[in-house]
Amino acid sequence: MRVTDLNVGYGDTSILETVSFAIEQKCHLSVLGPNGSGKSTLAKALCGLLPYKGSIMIDGQELHDISPKERAKLISYIPAKMESFEQFTTVEDFVLLGRYPYKASFKDYGTEDRTIVQETLTELGLETLSGSRLHELSSGQQQLVLIAQALAQQSKILIFDEPTSNLDPKNTSLFVQELKKVRQNRMTILISHDIPLAAHLNDPVLFIREKKAEFHAKGFFENDSLKSAYGVTFHKENGMIGISYV
Amino acid sequence: MYRLVWILLIFLALLSPFSGTATLDIGTLFEAGSLSQRIFLELRLPRILLAFAAGGTLALAGLLFQTLFRNALMTPFTLGVSGGAVLGAGIAIKLGLGIAFGISAVSLFGFAGAFSTVILLIVLSRYLKRAEQESLLLLGIALSFFYTSALMVIFYLSSFTETATIMRFTMGSLSIVGYDNVITVSAFAALLLLVLWLKRFELQLLSISDEQASLKGVNTKQLTYLFLIITSLAIGVLVSLTGPIGFIGLIIPHMLRKLYQRPVSSLILPVFVLGGLFLLACDTVARYFSTGSEIPIGVVTALIGGPFFIYLIIAKQR
Repeated sequence: MRVTDLNVGYGDTSILETVSFAIEQKCHLSVLGPNGSGKSTLAKALCGLLPYKGSIMIDGQELHDISPKERAKLISYIPAKMESFEQFTTVEDFVLLGRYPYKASFKDYGTEDRTIVQETLTELGLETLSGSRLHELSSGQQQLVLIAQALAQQSKILIFDEPTSNLDPKNTSLFVQELKKVRQNRMTILISHDIPLAAHLNDPVLFIREKKAEFHAKGFFENDSLKSAYGVTFHKENGMIGISYV
Repeated sequence: MYRLVWILLIFLALLSPFSGTATLDIGTLFEAGSLSQRIFLELRLPRILLAFAAGGTLALAGLLFQTLFRNALMTPFTLGVSGGAVLGAGIAIKLGLGIAFGISAVSLFGFAGAFSTVILLIVLSRYLKRAEQESLLLLGIALSFFYTSALMVIFYLSSFTETATIMRFTMGSLSIVGYDNVITVSAFAALLLLVLWLKRFELQLLSISDEQASLKGVNTKQLTYLFLIITSLAIGVLVSLTGPIGFIGLIIPHMLRKLYQRPVSSLILPVFVLGGLFLLACDTVARYFSTGSEIPIGVVTALIGGPFFIYLIIAKQR
């Protein structure tokens, strides 16, 4: 993925200006920045949900030249929270939706799609919940179901938007275990405020502030960089980073 | 409880041909040219078919609006589409227009009223953010108030006969002779059913959010316009021929969601069938209790639907 001079906005309001960065295949990125800095806007632009100026090249193709279905085969977006008006949808039905880009028009999902869904559910330890309704699940389980849907989509790039913001410590830990497995053969982009998690993953960082982005290939999680980025002091103990509360 | 509703509706639908002021003689029903056969073929059967197609269309349109706007209270009726049709028909009656382009002017104006309301809602909704979809319902209510007031002005300017004709139209009616209207309404019902069935998986993705549907490869804008235009065509044609028949789009999808607990992609055919049976059952009851003149069908559905609407609002708060 190569982003060059990216400008994104809503109407006349500019949110991101001249953002440039590049990620190699199967490498990863953490997108950090204060509230309202435009992290989610960047994610939406990278998924093709927002019009943009500049260039977003994925697999050698310009994003807005790629058809919606082909784009879905390249990028998945995992939102912070599951939202569904259809509360009676089962886990299996929901994950099956990840196979939509591969489904022939006007036809039902095929046997192969259903097999991939079952395999994905088993991989994430969700096979026993396959027939459960979405509204019966805990927020941790819902997060895993969202990941399952994205995995069933078999796209090369996964964008996680604030994945731990609704999770308790136990579910966060479960999520990170799964994330590490997922990262082995895919590119992941993590959008988060979770500095300890980002530091633990230790990926290159794109820090967004005041419409501009700074790319840090390494060294972002040093105390001085963090303090200058966020304006608060962080401390490091046994390799773990935390905020120093006053 | 919901299964009982199905059984009751099927029972009432089977009784339907025999309900009405004229009694059918089963003995002569199969005799060619007998009075019973003529009543059955020229009055009862077209009416049954019209009720079924109309109920199915209204219920499907309700399911579609609720799914697209992700709100159980959204239907063409609650968003003012029927109000637009009534106003259009009212204008045609007041102006004393007869036939235009081979179609009754009342139908044509009724259709124009319904269709332009949907277009107006699409335009207005572009100014709303997703989180403000509740405001669309308020816009629909505001439009309904506006249409009612405009209709009052027409009443004020109309003669007694014109007022009576408009009033009768606003109450909704399934009373027809022959098959012309049945064929028109059924054709649009079939088109709506076919499009929704073919696009059922896209609709399921849209039920989560426009963004999620788009991320999975659905061309959301194009599809939403296609859905809204086909629905407004079907509803516009229907309302222009039968008058407004409310609340079916609200009650039936809600009942089926509770009954089947399945996503929208599995509900399309059941919603159509149950909507058809429900309106047919309401019409059977209305005709059974008729003494001399008929109880208008729109009044029957509104009497059931009004309290149900209140129940839905309260249930939503819990």
